Amino acid sequence: MSHLLLAETAPIHAPSVAYSSLSPIFIVLGAALVGVLVEALVPRAERYAVQMVVTIGGLTAALVAVGLLHNTAETTVAGALAVDGAGLFIQGSVLVLSVMSVLLIAERSVDVGSAIVASAAVVVGSPTDRRLARTDRVQTEVFPLLLFAVAGMLIFPISNNLLLMFVALEVLSLPLYLMAGLSRRRRLLSQEAALKYFLLGAFASAFFLYGLALLYGYANSVDLPAILNASKASPKSDVLLYVGLALLLVGLLFKAGIAPFHSWTPDVYQGSPTPVTAFMSSCTKIAAFGAIMRVLYVGFNATAWNWRPIVWAVAIASMAVGGIFGLTQTDLKRVLAYSSIAHAGFILVGLVALDKDGIASVLFYVLTYGFSTMAAFGVLMLVRDADGEATHLAQWSGLARKSPFVAAVMTVLLLSMAGIPLTSGFIAKFYVFKAAFHVAAPLVVIALIFSAVAAFYYLRIVVLMFFAEPPENGPTIAIPGWSTAVALTFGMVVTVVLGIFPQPILDLAAKAATLVG
Amino acid sequence: MSAVISTAGELTNGQVPLGEAVAFWILGPVSLAGAIGMVLLRNAVHSALSLVATMMSLGMFYLIEQGPFLGLVQIIVYTGAIMILFLFVLMLIGRDASDSIVETLRGQRWAASLFGIGFALLVALSVGRAFKGSKPVNLNSATTNANGQNVNSIAALLFTKYLFAFELTSALLIIAAVGAMVLAHLERETPKRTQKEIARERIRSGRPQPLPGPGVLSSHDAIGTPALLPDGSIAPESVMASTPGVRELPALDNPDNIR
Repeated sequence: MSHLLLAETAPIHAPSVAYSSLSPIFIVLGAALVGVLVEALVPRAERYAVQMVVTIGGLTAALVAVGLLHNTAETTVAGALAVDGAGLFIQGSVLVLSVMSVLLIAERSVDVGSAIVASAAVVVGSPTDRRLARTDRVQTEVFPLLLFAVAGMLIFPISNNLLLMFVALEVLSLPLYLMAGLSRRRRLLSQEAALKYFLLGAFASAFFLYGLALLYGYANSVDLPAILNASKASPKSDVLLYVGLALLLVGLLFKAGIAPFHSWTPDVYQGSPTPVTAFMSSCTKIAAFGAIMRVLYVGFNATAWNWRPIVWAVAIASMAVGGIFGLTQTDLKRVLAYSSIAHAGFILVGLVALDKDGIASVLFYVLTYGFSTMAAFGVLMLVRDADGEATHLAQWSGLARKSPFVAAVMTVLLLSMAGIPLTSGFIAKFYVFKAAFHVAAPLVVIALIFSAVAAFYYLRIVVLMFFAEPPENGPTIAIPGWSTAVALTFGMVVTVVLGIFPQPILDLAAKAATLVG
Repeated sequence: MSAVISTAGELTNGQVPLGEAVAFWILGPVSLAGAIGMVLLRNAVHSALSLVATMMSLGMFYLIEQGPFLGLVQIIVYTGAIMILFLFVLMLIGRDASDSIVETLRGQRWAASLFGIGFALLVALSVGRAFKGSKPVNLNSATTNANGQNVNSIAALLFTKYLFAFELTSALLIIAAVGAMVLAHLERETPKRTQKEIARERIRSGRPQPLPGPGVLSSHDAIGTPALLPDGSIAPESVMASTPGVRELPALDNPDNIR
């Protein structure tokens, strides 16, 4: 039977791959593989430095490649990937911010070793664990894992086919689950965070897959353009389309940390090593919004009447949860986690617009928010006591008397997140609301109310830092090493400059606001 | 396999052949009972075995629906490899290490059941509605094309349309391997002891003979079960102190509890 089959079989033709358009992905994946080899071949003493060179070199090379590709608009590998303006803008943002998170991970002067554990396999609290915690040994696998996650984040927003999007989702999630558990201090909390993230993430992925299967049943294809065509022309019942989209959205909204699929966010942000939290809150969020945008704008453009109310509802829920629960938090990392949930709601407001302005405003928002949150987590790394980072709000009271500079930097970042004029956060919110106003004025009004609520808790921290009495044995401010200093300065400068001269980046986002598919 | 294909090949428009209907009504309840048993059974080993029943029935479904590749992969990979790994882990941990049934969130059990059943109803009703009135089609003709039959068509798709996704799964495998090393690999910091040193130490320890094996299979299937000495008392050296589940066994101090 087998040779009969062979005789009937026609030769297959491999699809053409536009290697140049996909070069950022290949560069990052290649660097990740080199990183794995470095783990195997380079002696421990040199590993850290070599990994740094490989990681930052790979990410920078990929960033240059994205810059060279800026006018590309094509689909490749049999329509599986769509390299276009919006996708490249997202890729560029992810790469810039991932370089900054590598710089934060590389910080070795505020804590012995780094914020990353010496050996993740050692039992917590055992004599070996206590001994290793005092050495400068680091689990350097974190660098190749980060590169794999970045590769997933580069593919996720340009996947034009839901199956590839699912695989990319897993490629970006698996390393994140691992990295969440690698904290040097408070290791049990970190491992709990990793397990929670893994279980809930697997649960959300299952929803995504179920939705994918139903959409395949509807459109007989998992390509986004094919789903669009089927939804335009089909005389069939639309039930599969809507149930499929709803389940698909559960998986995507989970990754972006949007209420009501946000419950993992505070715990995971709190437990993960702070530089990894910074990476998650900026890069993952950007990539997830890129993917949500592509699914809704390319695959479900014709059915916008049906998904808009859903996006309205989750945007309002997200802003409400982020704004109201954020008020009751006493841990600064959790405050920033709820702030990220609220911001996800604001970004969704821009997605409702469904036009070029909407895309451009969302692109600008995710970039500026990424810089502010990255720098804010960087500042968190510097305020320390004997147990590591001092993240309790009470420990931050009166911080300005001890270090006016750190308090001032944090204030600017918090004001940007609150959306006060002269910061990038204000410009970002303004353009998102402007883009959405003509289609969803009530939503914009609600968003304005919630941004006032959220502003209250950012200002509460500012007041605490400047006007409250410092505690008895308050935290100390660590002097950052060069890498954290570079990342913090860059994040800070971008936050201020984009608040005053946003036009070049706004123009870039407007020019990039195209989706092919 | 070809027999299945040829019987099912006689599918007339809009009718399910008798053999397929009979198989469905036998395997359907089995797979459903397995799934429900997997959730409800208290003993983890029984739970895993009922999941095996569900997966085997699903594999048979795929075979009947003319997906030979999918059916065999389901049986070989899921039932054969993954579930057996599950059973290994359960045996290692000890099946008596049962879940705590204390609710940390109040009312969570009820809320979860309510939402779970609601979700199942929603999906079942909507999918049922979507397929109402559609006629069954012979999948043999659908999966046979210029590339050959089902298996060849899958191969062709993997290397053409889904090439990138297929290649990308290799990244997943590397991440999984690196992750397993990160989480489980302890590096040796002292030089490895030679066989000579080990033998010397053993003779000097006063107990040159090997330690007794655990009481697995005599009364329990968990490796944490201690062995019994000829007089019925417990041999404490027969279980490793580090085995999870040892502490949960109520029997350690009273041999009557074991028999």
